[in-house]
Amino acid sequence: MDYLSLIAYGILNTLFVLLISPLFISLIKIVKAHAQKRRGPPILQTYRNLTKLLKKETIYSTNSSWIMRATPLVNIAALLVASLFVPLLVIPQPNDLVGNIILFLYLLAMAKFFMALSGLDAGSTFGGMGSSREMAISALIEPVIIVVFAALAFAFKTINLPDMFRGALASNVLVDPILILISISIFIVIIVESARAPVDNPETHLELTMIHEAMILEQSGKNLAMMEMSSAMKQLLLMGVLINVLVPWGLTSDFTAPSILISFAAFTVKAIVLAVIIGLFESSCAKSRLFRLPGLFAVALFLSFITLIIEVFA
Amino acid sequence: MLEILFPLGLASFLVAILLPLFASKLTNSKTPRQASLIFTFFACIAILAFALEIILSNKSFSLLAYQIVPSFQFSFLVDRLAAFFLALVAIVSVAVAIYSVSYVEHTEHDGRKNLIVSFMNIFIVSMLLVVASFSMFSFLFFWETMALSSFLLVMVEFEKKDTQKAGIFYFVMTHLSTLFLIFAFLFIYTVTKTFDMTQIRADPIINSVAFAFLFLGFAIKAGVIPLHKWLPYAHPASPSNISALMSGVMIKIAIYGLIRFLFLLPMQTWWGILILFAGAVSALIGVIYALKEHDIKKMLAYSSIENIGIILIGIGLYVVFSVAGIEAIALLALIGALFHTLNHAIFKSLLFMATGSVVNATGTRDIEGMGGLIKRMPTTGVLFLVGAVSISALPPFNGFVSELMIFQAFFQTTVLSNPFLEVLLIVALAMFAFTSALAAACFVKAFGISFLALPRSEKSKNAKESPKLMLIGPAVLAVLCIAFGIFSLQLFGVLGFSFPLPNMLFIGALLGGFYAFIYIALREVANRRERFAETWGCGFPTQTFKMEYSASGFSEPIVTILKSIFRTQKKSERYFYDDKNVIFKDGKAEIQLINFFEERIYLPVAAVIRKISLKVNNIQRGDADLHIAYAFVTIVVFLLIIWWFA
Repeated sequence: MDYLSLIAYGILNTLFVLLISPLFISLIKIVKAHAQKRRGPPILQTYRNLTKLLKKETIYSTNSSWIMRATPLVNIAALLVASLFVPLLVIPQPNDLVGNIILFLYLLAMAKFFMALSGLDAGSTFGGMGSSREMAISALIEPVIIVVFAALAFAFKTINLPDMFRGALASNVLVDPILILISISIFIVIIVESARAPVDNPETHLELTMIHEAMILEQSGKNLAMMEMSSAMKQLLLMGVLINVLVPWGLTSDFTAPSILISFAAFTVKAIVLAVIIGLFESSCAKSRLFRLPGLFAVALFLSFITLIIEVFA
Repeated sequence: MLEILFPLGLASFLVAILLPLFASKLTNSKTPRQASLIFTFFACIAILAFALEIILSNKSFSLLAYQIVPSFQFSFLVDRLAAFFLALVAIVSVAVAIYSVSYVEHTEHDGRKNLIVSFMNIFIVSMLLVVASFSMFSFLFFWETMALSSFLLVMVEFEKKDTQKAGIFYFVMTHLSTLFLIFAFLFIYTVTKTFDMTQIRADPIINSVAFAFLFLGFAIKAGVIPLHKWLPYAHPASPSNISALMSGVMIKIAIYGLIRFLFLLPMQTWWGILILFAGAVSALIGVIYALKEHDIKKMLAYSSIENIGIILIGIGLYVVFSVAGIEAIALLALIGALFHTLNHAIFKSLLFMATGSVVNATGTRDIEGMGGLIKRMPTTGVLFLVGAVSISALPPFNGFVSELMIFQAFFQTTVLSNPFLEVLLIVALAMFAFTSALAAACFVKAFGISFLALPRSEKSKNAKESPKLMLIGPAVLAVLCIAFGIFSLQLFGVLGFSFPLPNMLFIGALLGGFYAFIYIALREVANRRERFAETWGCGFPTQTFKMEYSASGFSEPIVTILKSIFRTQKKSERYFYDDKNVIFKDGKAEIQLINFFEERIYLPVAAVIRKISLKVNNIQRGDADLHIAYAFVTIVVFLLIIWWFA
């Protein structure tokens, strides 16, 4: 194994994720604003928010414990490790260190676990509400996620994410119908996991519909910046999985400047398209009642089951 | 070394059993029971050393201890599988022994402290000897010793109504389990004419019947749904050190029995499917019930049912893949199941011990009466959190690695090349995934409501940290939770297994590295000023615990979504002053949860049995001579039957 190139991959991928992930938060906001005939924030607004938060003081509740302080760091650390698992520009050489798909999912689960604890830590009603709902929703979507990823594993005959991307890149089928079915389910997973309508409403802070925003309501200053950053990263990583499985064009295995540049351009364009689709999708549906959500998840589970049954019998 | 360690451990246990029993006649001081627990400690260390030597060298050890007649003998054979379970019992018992030194002193009745220690030792040694048993006779003998000693331990606070109910449930269920095992062993005996376990011969029909009985027997003891009902009663009723042993170890002995006989009997695919779905249903229903529970020990009991389910899922996969001849994945599933057995033993005992400390400090088992404990009992809080994180299968802790192995076995289902079987496995996979996510929700609730935010009662507000020994015991297990997670790959390497698992040492180092890096970077780059302020109390002058999210509030969304499983019934009645139903006068609303298994399965069966026994009662007058006459007639009838067939 060539450790040097692996380290180079790690640094490049992590930096790219850190650099580009806030972009899509503002982009989706702009798309949604335009759908409502508003102008929306400037494209760099999320970066400005993050730097502003870093400059602010941190306020802790007198009720809270060290869980409140540890959560933002646990979140960002888990997401940084997870970002090594999803190659966005260059696929690393086959290795057994990073890429296990289940470990990837559980790193995200770890971030969520601590976020839910911090929601309860300050003792506020809103935080508890957010934690409770978030855990309920994440429990319901979990079978979908696992079954979708099992479908991916069956399709590419590997449980390693980079190897899946390599398989997708090498495949000479332009668009595989199974992958389209899988992609629809992954799209639903992205919507759910990045707390978007119809599951959650990322716009509101003080409505009783809120889930994710309620959990991080008591966070402030640099801690809030870390939480915002990690949710932006999580959204980008899941988008990356969808893009690199369905349309891996442009992704490369060579570690050379020109191919990285091409890959950079290709990924950015594809991610922008996906972000626009997400924004339009969000604009086109209303926030649904919490207890209507199981229906949506059942659709996703049904789709992923169909995919698996097709795969098994094909 | 091998020859000495095992008898040495047993002898040391014997001292530990007898010492407090005899001492209680003479004195009521705590020295004898503490001395006894020290003997327990060293006995466990000896057994652990013995087991580790066998595991590492892959040798086996046999011993014929005592023979009544040739087929009824106490004989022991410790191979790698048995040694693994010996190690498991020993590890947990070491921690429980340390914890018990302080914990036993909290028992209300002085006279019972010595008895608890003595019976606890009988309980531990019987579990060790079940695992070491080589003949079915000694297996059953120690199985029954284990059942009876644990029954007595459940009944420590026998005056309480709850304990009596728990005791009856446990006594009946555990004997049903023994009964099924006796059936199974007799079936096997009819073919092999011996109680020697290794002599089991292949005979498909007899084997299937024997397997069915064995599975029933072990499933009752392991708490597989719907045979689980004794577990959520017995665990809260018994002292916490005993719950730790029962939940951490005893139910694993049933897993040992199941695996042992699967190794001996030629397996069939339907066995695997049965085990897999019994496991998946137990796991899912178990965690769903756990989520609703506010009694923290009951919640842990249901969570044990869930984890037994996960272990059975692994064993079921092993059988399915093994019958299909795919050895690599079968081994992955089996070692995954065994590793989860060990991990669950460790973190569940840890959680029960931490819970015991909390219950002692707050005087309640209801998590709605706790809260804010992380500031009052910081070490216990960390210990409980380690347990909660491990049981929620978060990387890089041990629970994650074992669940990962089972997931990986599932993810390679397509190699079976039997579409129908594959679809079944995928259904089980979805159930397993659901379980795993619900478990995380359950432990966010358990830790979040009981340890975080404001105290919800006066007692919780004044809670004090436990004595040192009650922290060291669980701390041993907490360290193992982390070590077995981080060094999992290296551990398997030492044992001679190589699985395509991620290197958790690397992942753990990365997580720690990033954590430290971001921490330092934020100190350098970001604003360092901090301020403390009160949480917004929704406009009220001061925030009280009543504004916090409660445990029932926390689980409400899931309870509502899964209301068909909980069978909740919401009733509301409203009365009005006027006939147009406008001016509200009074009303009441209630949520009822049906105890489905108890009301629809257990009690009807019990009612039938009661009817029959009332009839039988007529011939049981209680006269000694009449009963002797019955016994005499029975023996004559049996002799006649034997003579007829012979």
